[in-house]
Amino acid sequence: MATKPLSLSSSPVDWRQLRRRSFSFFLDWLVWGYVAYGVVYLLTKYWWEVPLARFLTPIPIPAWGWPLVILGTLETAVWSRALGRSLGLRAFGLALNAPANNRPSLRAKLRRGLLWHLNFTPLGFFYLVREGKFIQDVKSGLEVGPPPDLYPGSRSSPLRDQWAWTALLVVVLTLWVGWLVVEADLGTLIARWDKAGQIYWGKVRYDLRYFLRPTELPLPRVTSTGLLKPDFRYLLVPDPAFELRRLSASILDLMVVTVFMALLATVLGVVLAFPLSFLGARNIMGFSPVGWMIYFLVRGFFNVFRSIPTIMWTVLFAVWVGWGSPFAGVLGLTLHTIAALGKLYSEQVEGIDPGPVEAVVAAGGSRLEVIRYAVIPQISPSYWAFTLYRWDINVRMSTVIALVGGGGIGDMLFYHKDKGNWELVGAVVVVIVAVVWAMDYISGRLRERIV
Amino acid sequence: MAEPYLVVENLTKVYERGQVVALKDLSFAVEKGEFLVVIGLSGSGKSTLLRCINRLIEPTAGRIYLSGVELTKLSPRAMRRMRRNIGMIFQQFNLIKRATVMTNVLTGRLGYNPTLLTLLGRFPKRDRELALRNLERVGLSEKAYVRADELSGGQQQRVGIARALMQEPELLLADEPVSALDPATSHSVMQYLEQMNKEDGVTVLASLHFLSLARRYGTRIIALKDGQLVFDGPPEAIDEVKFKEIYGEEAEEVEVR
Repeated sequence: MATKPLSLSSSPVDWRQLRRRSFSFFLDWLVWGYVAYGVVYLLTKYWWEVPLARFLTPIPIPAWGWPLVILGTLETAVWSRALGRSLGLRAFGLALNAPANNRPSLRAKLRRGLLWHLNFTPLGFFYLVREGKFIQDVKSGLEVGPPPDLYPGSRSSPLRDQWAWTALLVVVLTLWVGWLVVEADLGTLIARWDKAGQIYWGKVRYDLRYFLRPTELPLPRVTSTGLLKPDFRYLLVPDPAFELRRLSASILDLMVVTVFMALLATVLGVVLAFPLSFLGARNIMGFSPVGWMIYFLVRGFFNVFRSIPTIMWTVLFAVWVGWGSPFAGVLGLTLHTIAALGKLYSEQVEGIDPGPVEAVVAAGGSRLEVIRYAVIPQISPSYWAFTLYRWDINVRMSTVIALVGGGGIGDMLFYHKDKGNWELVGAVVVVIVAVVWAMDYISGRLRERIV
Repeated sequence: MAEPYLVVENLTKVYERGQVVALKDLSFAVEKGEFLVVIGLSGSGKSTLLRCINRLIEPTAGRIYLSGVELTKLSPRAMRRMRRNIGMIFQQFNLIKRATVMTNVLTGRLGYNPTLLTLLGRFPKRDRELALRNLERVGLSEKAYVRADELSGGQQQRVGIARALMQEPELLLADEPVSALDPATSHSVMQYLEQMNKEDGVTVLASLHFLSLARRYGTRIIALKDGQLVFDGPPEAIDEVKFKEIYGEEAEEVEVR
């Protein structure tokens, strides 16, 4: 016999609904917390610009401020819900409904907001136990439930009525506060366009540091080089200024190194992610304790190693095997590739049609045979698609990974950028663009063929 | 009296999620060479019963004997060997859609060949010849190297039958083999099953939706309702009263010709 959850009330409690309501409540609390942050940010930002406030000393925030803020946002969330301005309810497909799908009256809404507070008194508990509902549901006549399509005799939709203004507030606040936080300044963007143009066209040669502290440095020298006047003199001939250990270091040489970095990282990544993806798939590992543990470990590995970016892994390996060594870049790229592909792969394995698996098992097939005959044929198109996608990422990453000691063409790129040799940087950029473009084209054609 | 070929004793299956009882204390026996049809409404436990016999689904309680061997006690490895003798065909055919018909039919031999070779896609010459013979038998010899998803539903089910034939089974489990097919194709597929039963002496356990099909092909019928046995007897014994008992008061019989 199925056992029902223990319930004190006579009427059955809809636990699913209750869970959704409480989640929506915490979402509302979060939203109002965010709004409070935005408002405080704007107040502190503009405080001194309000003429009258200029003469007041800033008020220090006392230690009891934080609990006050938390309670304040809680209270705001409660009232926003009672007044039907709740993003949380909207997110969970709920709304505040009056009987017979009528528009809730303001009176009833205000009553509901006040009644909510009685939940912390024995009276609220009494109603919860007796009716299986909160006191504000019973006494205000308004219930939380799926919204009606339209209010009778009105063209306005309950959904638009109940959350659109809150959403607008959040969007406007995000734009306003975000603009201030990132120090966005259209004036600078326009006023200094000629300085950027000079890098590209090469009228003036700037020391890069000039851009960081414009006032402390002497005026820049005038030269005739620029990014858009690329100088290909080191395309095939090794660059003497750029001594890269014992490697010959023309642009093409380094580009070959870079492409191989991407290639090796992708192939190694695929070779290792492929078997791991089966260990990280729920339907393959079964429900035994050992299978569950392996699944958990593998999935954990995927998630941890995937969330640490390639750049971080490369720094680690650059320190380990040598700064500027392409090997470091390969290790960094490979590790991230394994984790990223492994996760994508194993999700594909979990999404297969179980029918063929059943058929192979019924014919006496072993677990490996199940994978070979029932799983791999189903997943191979998406595996190829993900592998090519990762190859694209690795090609692009391998060109910049030298920034953190990963080696490859980026080494030359950043060396000349630091020296301000914009014409040489331009040449490297042109070659990178050409190669990335070519690789993209090739992988695109492969994708058409395979998928 | 000799032990029957297949014995099911007090079989019970409870799905843990939601505590659904799929089979309740089910007992019956099947003699060698019988064509046993299992009928009942959707959700009455037909599929679960068939899958418990080759342990695609682990029974919660009860015992199953095949030729005197207790299947429910076998180790996973021994069970894999045992499954070679138990063919199965499915409602949704369960073919590998992106593989050729030949590969699909050869998967019926997986239990007989070492994993090391099958992983490389290698099968003995004898198996390949057997596959061609079986495809000929179901009338698909010229489709051997066509991808499985290019075939029609009836053709796909015939590939499923050829795959089961590859196992040279003693027992065939057919889980609603014709539910996804139209009436004409249904009969052609059922006739292949009948042929296996009569000519090769394969014992058949088939679950069917239509009583008319069950009457036409079954030598014996058992009926399930809510996981319990409500009828066990010859096809002629199902009359109007029995029918209502199995399918409920509102049900009306539909003929498949």
